[in-house]
Amino acid sequence: MFVGFFYALREKGVPVTPTSFLKLQKALSMGLINTLEDFYTAARSILIKSERYFDTYDSIFAHTFKGVPLTDPEEIELTEIVRALLQEWLKNPADIAQALGLDEKELAKFTPEELEKYFLERLKEQDGQHHGGHKWIGTGGTSPVGHSGYHPGGMRIGGASRNKSAIKVAMERRYKDYAQDGPLTEFQINEALKRLRRMVPSGPKDVVNIEKTIYETMRNAGEVEIIFDRRLTDRLKVVLLIDNGGWSMDPYIEVVKTLFNYSRSQFKDLQIYYFHNTIYDQVWLDPQRQFRPEPIDEFIRREPETRLIMIGDASMAPYELTHPHGAIYIDQRQALPSIERLKFLAKTFRHSVWLNPQAEKIWGYTWTIGVIREIFPMFELSLDGLEKAVLHLMSRN
Amino acid sequence: MNQDNQIYHFEGASRYVLDEELAQIVNVSMALEMPLLLKGEPGTGKTMLAHSIAESLKMPLIVLNVKSSMKLLEALYQYDTLTRLNDSRFGDSCRNVSNIEEYIKMGKIGQAFTADVRTVLLIDEIDKADTDFQDDMLDVLDQMQFDIMEIDKTIKAKNRPVIVITSNAKKDLSDPFLGRCNFHHIAFPQPDMMRRILGVHFPGLNSDLVEACIASFYRLRELRGVEKKPATRELINWIRAIKADPDFKVKSLAQGSVPYLGILFKKSGDLSIATQQASRLRL
Repeated sequence: MFVGFFYALREKGVPVTPTSFLKLQKALSMGLINTLEDFYTAARSILIKSERYFDTYDSIFAHTFKGVPLTDPEEIELTEIVRALLQEWLKNPADIAQALGLDEKELAKFTPEELEKYFLERLKEQDGQHHGGHKWIGTGGTSPVGHSGYHPGGMRIGGASRNKSAIKVAMERRYKDYAQDGPLTEFQINEALKRLRRMVPSGPKDVVNIEKTIYETMRNAGEVEIIFDRRLTDRLKVVLLIDNGGWSMDPYIEVVKTLFNYSRSQFKDLQIYYFHNTIYDQVWLDPQRQFRPEPIDEFIRREPETRLIMIGDASMAPYELTHPHGAIYIDQRQALPSIERLKFLAKTFRHSVWLNPQAEKIWGYTWTIGVIREIFPMFELSLDGLEKAVLHLMSRN
Repeated sequence: MNQDNQIYHFEGASRYVLDEELAQIVNVSMALEMPLLLKGEPGTGKTMLAHSIAESLKMPLIVLNVKSSMKLLEALYQYDTLTRLNDSRFGDSCRNVSNIEEYIKMGKIGQAFTADVRTVLLIDEIDKADTDFQDDMLDVLDQMQFDIMEIDKTIKAKNRPVIVITSNAKKDLSDPFLGRCNFHHIAFPQPDMMRRILGVHFPGLNSDLVEACIASFYRLRELRGVEKKPATRELINWIRAIKADPDFKVKSLAQGSVPYLGILFKKSGDLSIATQQASRLRL
């Protein structure tokens, strides 16, 4: 039973194991699962082992048991938006009547479902006529509805409402914020960065190594010889350079900063510096890039084992990167072109990456990205890219 | 049906509001005899769930608080060599020195196994320990038995405990570990649910106050740049503080003045952000 469902999960990249599938069969045979709702929750808790895959599970569930098309998130999203919008507008029926070009009395005849459908139809019409017209709903700025995955305020998933069918619950896609694809959220980056931790022995020798003590005591013919070891601690140093200048980085700064503040608790030694577009003689410890400059040359005094993470869109005018006096600020007199500085950093720190918040597929259109990619390994600032970056940072060579 | 006596059914407890989804998962895990792994934001009631399972099924609760340096053996049993040495030197105890078994003390898992009744075993914050600990422990929990090397004895579980494991996701758990658990992620409760949770904790609380508190609480959660968002636990403590304050007026909350921010925001950075922004939150 449900073999198709199982393989659908596998195909979509959810790690489900045959053992857990058998467990599910066992649960079914025990008569624990009597309704589709039961099946939804039971199968999820048995098969899916990380909240990251809950969203994929939801959509596959809806697909398998309802035939909801898989590759049409737009549609679901749209419905979601419409519903939320309607709820907001229904508080003020006159408004919506006007917006739809209907009489208020006529509107009152509709049931909410009808209204929703009607509204959606209208919306699609509009989409057809002015291409991409439905955008006004998501990006108007005044809309009360949060659009797509990234929602700075937090999660909008719920635990309570269960007077709906499982399909509807699944179609709500409550776990979207945890999903692997889509924009990065704070939760995900924290998960990924944890892999950067590495415990190494350091500090005073104050832990008794019992096995060695016994061995040495024996070798000493019974005379007690106590062997101490160093304690394991996380000694990894991380230097983070964030491009926080210009409108191009604006949408990402808040995310990036929060993320790395989170990760402060993860690393013993994390330093954050700021720059604009690219690096010249100095970087700054304060986000305003005014008060606490730090010369790049000083970086050579740091341990070469320090992990260097650069975050920026790497997009600028070519001269900013290659011309000796390329800085866009007049007060930054420098002798070396920025590209030399970047090379210097890459040479000083063997383990370095550049994280780019732009999607990888558009990197090819910016010349400076190509140049910087040759200096630093560049990864996308998404969960996937971050994981690759961390892997790269942790590799030994 | 005869079986009803054996299949335990969990339906929530006096201090815990359970959503149906979670209840179903708890029941399935108990029936399948699999440990239930709970993840979720700190303060959303992962630990509380185990307490309420124990309460509602009337089973004793055994809590194993995992520490980072913990070895599996500590959780199973301890061989108290020091007492034995002491006894053999001075011989003033009633224990029989040549019987090692008298110097074996059961750890938390051992206690759960040897208890005469079925227990709820809560393994709290498993992610603090290293991967080896986790895997080895799951082996023990899978087979429901372990060996005491010193006396060459196998301890078998008299009753299979109901096992609840919580994780704060500090570290990733290994795949074999996950494979043996049922998994659930406790989502942050939505306002409706929160109302019910507060109703359980503060029966008879003025509904205006509840509404105002919930409204400002969810607004405070939306603040940008906050590291640790306040969770259910913080909200409950906060309302407790508000209740204790005789000068507090519901109106002032609506006007944007939020007292006792320190209860909601525990990190100094967060607190200063919240203090700055809170005044702007008018309802």
